[in-house]
Amino acid sequence: MSLVAAALVAVTVLVALEGAGPAALCRHLYLVPVIVAALRFGVAGGALAAAAAVLLSAPFVLPEIERAGLTTEAVEGLVTFGVVVLVGVLSGVLRARAGRHRRRYELLVTIQRALAEEAPVDVALGRLRAALASRLRVDALAIVGRDGERLVVAGGDRVAEGSLAARVLESGEAIFVGDTGGDGRARRAFATPLMSGGHAVGVLAVERRGEISLAERATLEAVGAHVGIALENARLVSRQRRFADELSQRVAEARRELEELDRAKSAFVAIASHELRTPLTALQGFSEILAVRRLPPEEVARLASVMRREARRLGRIVSDLLDLSRIERGLEPALCRIPVRIDAVIQATAEIFRQGSATHLITTECEPALPIVDADPDALERVLTNLISNAIKYSPTGSTVCVGARAAAGGVAIEVADAGRGIPAELLSRVFEPYYRVPDAAAAARGTGIGLAVVKALVEAHGGTVHVESAPALGTRVIVVLPPAASLTPRAARV
Amino acid sequence: MWSLDQPYLLRAEPLLARTPLALLVVLAVGAGASAGLVGLQVAPPLVLQIAGVTAGHGVLLVTALAWSGVRSSSSVVAVVLLALAATAAAVVPLGAGAYLLPALWVLWLAARGQLAALGLGTPLPPQGMVAGTLVGAGLSTHLLLSASRTLGVQTRIDHAPEVLAAIAYDLGANVLTAECFFRGALFQRSQRRWSFAAAVAVATVAYVARYVVDPLLPKTVEQVIGAVFYLALLGVINCWLRWRYESLVPGLVSALVFFAAYRTLGAG
Repeated sequence: MSLVAAALVAVTVLVALEGAGPAALCRHLYLVPVIVAALRFGVAGGALAAAAAVLLSAPFVLPEIERAGLTTEAVEGLVTFGVVVLVGVLSGVLRARAGRHRRRYELLVTIQRALAEEAPVDVALGRLRAALASRLRVDALAIVGRDGERLVVAGGDRVAEGSLAARVLESGEAIFVGDTGGDGRARRAFATPLMSGGHAVGVLAVERRGEISLAERATLEAVGAHVGIALENARLVSRQRRFADELSQRVAEARRELEELDRAKSAFVAIASHELRTPLTALQGFSEILAVRRLPPEEVARLASVMRREARRLGRIVSDLLDLSRIERGLEPALCRIPVRIDAVIQATAEIFRQGSATHLITTECEPALPIVDADPDALERVLTNLISNAIKYSPTGSTVCVGARAAAGGVAIEVADAGRGIPAELLSRVFEPYYRVPDAAAAARGTGIGLAVVKALVEAHGGTVHVESAPALGTRVIVVLPPAASLTPRAARV
Repeated sequence: MWSLDQPYLLRAEPLLARTPLALLVVLAVGAGASAGLVGLQVAPPLVLQIAGVTAGHGVLLVTALAWSGVRSSSSVVAVVLLALAATAAAVVPLGAGAYLLPALWVLWLAARGQLAALGLGTPLPPQGMVAGTLVGAGLSTHLLLSASRTLGVQTRIDHAPEVLAAIAYDLGANVLTAECFFRGALFQRSQRRWSFAAAVAVATVAYVARYVVDPLLPKTVEQVIGAVFYLALLGVINCWLRWRYESLVPGLVSALVFFAAYRTLGAG
């Protein structure tokens, strides 16, 4: 500015030395420092330099008017006044406009750089705020962004209810506050929404002691729109990344489960082969004995009894495999439902086990006048057989297996309880999965791991529920609840 | 940060809020009564001069004080001191020195922190003082040069007592009251409601109008045009000084320097 002032004084000296009064040729040189001031300092610089030029040249023009009126020379001087002022102001305006465009462009580049790297919303907002604060000459700057349901604030702690930022976020309209209070120069505030898809996804708020001009506000609004889109993109990218991570995690989990299932199936094939071979071997062996030897009737009866038991066992395994096959295909087990008295089925099944097992005491306890259920007797028998068989397998020799039934919620609850080692609580939810066997159980007894899965499928096919209660070292209780048959009396039921 | 923490209320203080209407009415009635008495030749013209000075400057000063939250009693004291100074200046040859009294009273109020809203009693920025002095000196130089070249008015030093009396008047009444009201109160209040440019326009137009209607100002066309030119420039620049340095003192300095130069022209 001092250079401009010196130039103006120098031109004045030249005009004075030329001695041609208002029409001195050197007066046109005033344009040089005026344009320089306008290009360097904008409108204010151009206008000030032009005003200074007019003030300095006035002593050459006004006396001429005083002395001789509006002579040609005086008019030339006045026209020079006008031209100098016009050029100064216009140059300043053009320079200011170009400067505004440049700043806006630089600001947008700054925003793009700040949001170029993927980052969580709070980190992105922090970066953006730092970048904008270095560009916008304001006293305070804050950026608020939505991240799902919560608000992330960069440049503050929170957004108070009823505050300017909250109002802008709510209305989606920019608001200018001319004075926020206090003495001295007015502190202005301007808040503009960060828009994306027609919605306010955040707020850009600035405060300054002094002017926030219309042009600056327009720039800030443009920045707000740009930041809104960029932020939304950053948020979407972040969310996509999160989803991808989550998906990858789920795929890994699913793969682990599939591998486990595959291992379980392999184990199942081996076990099932063994389970099928055992009764087959017995049947084959005993039938050959019966075919080639002459045995006393008692021995024949004993062998026939063994063969019948093994055949039953074989039949049960095959039925379970067929049911499992249906379950895995998403089909329900085939049922032939008729009214059934539960107590009779329990007594009959328990009796079979009593005859076959001398190692456990099997007790039954059924409430009198139990409701009739609408069930497939064979399926029910298989359910009970599976449960009692499990109870015998996984409880110590000499212990008692209790089978009971009671009325419950309009239906019948069947309970099979043993005094075995129990099942850890965290594994209870998995015991009904096909092929799954509690780790300790494999060592305790042979099994295919499909029995409880079949039980569950059969019970649910009846519209009932099944669940397990277990306490380690105390025993396990399986409770099956079957709904009652509609409009049936105990007499109509099959025993 | 205000935008995040504080409740946003669209409630602006009216532009003329806290105007001391009672005091203004008393001053107007006093001036009117004096004019009536002088007109009826019941009182000498001196009374009207005293009442005019007191009312003219008192209106500006008490309004500025009231807008900045000063108690009415302090405003009354300021008016009384203005009246005393005007009386002393009218009656005694060296009585213009009494214009220091209202200036000292304002200084005392500022020292007690009661005039912070006017920009008095706040920290004095050295750059502001330099800027104010340079502005006053620049305008003064131009005034003296252009006056001597266009109007043929020359700087005179043979009427020093009158110049000193006029400078005292400027210090305690003319400049003090004008700066307190137009820059300290009106511009300050306007720039809270409108933009800087609008506030400058309001304060400057009012400032120039105050001098144009001043009966003490010479009424020749050249002098009125010159007054409007320089006062408008001074008004705009002082608004900027007030805004830039958040203090009234730089503007007071520039105006005092300018008016001191004006007084040396002998027209004062």
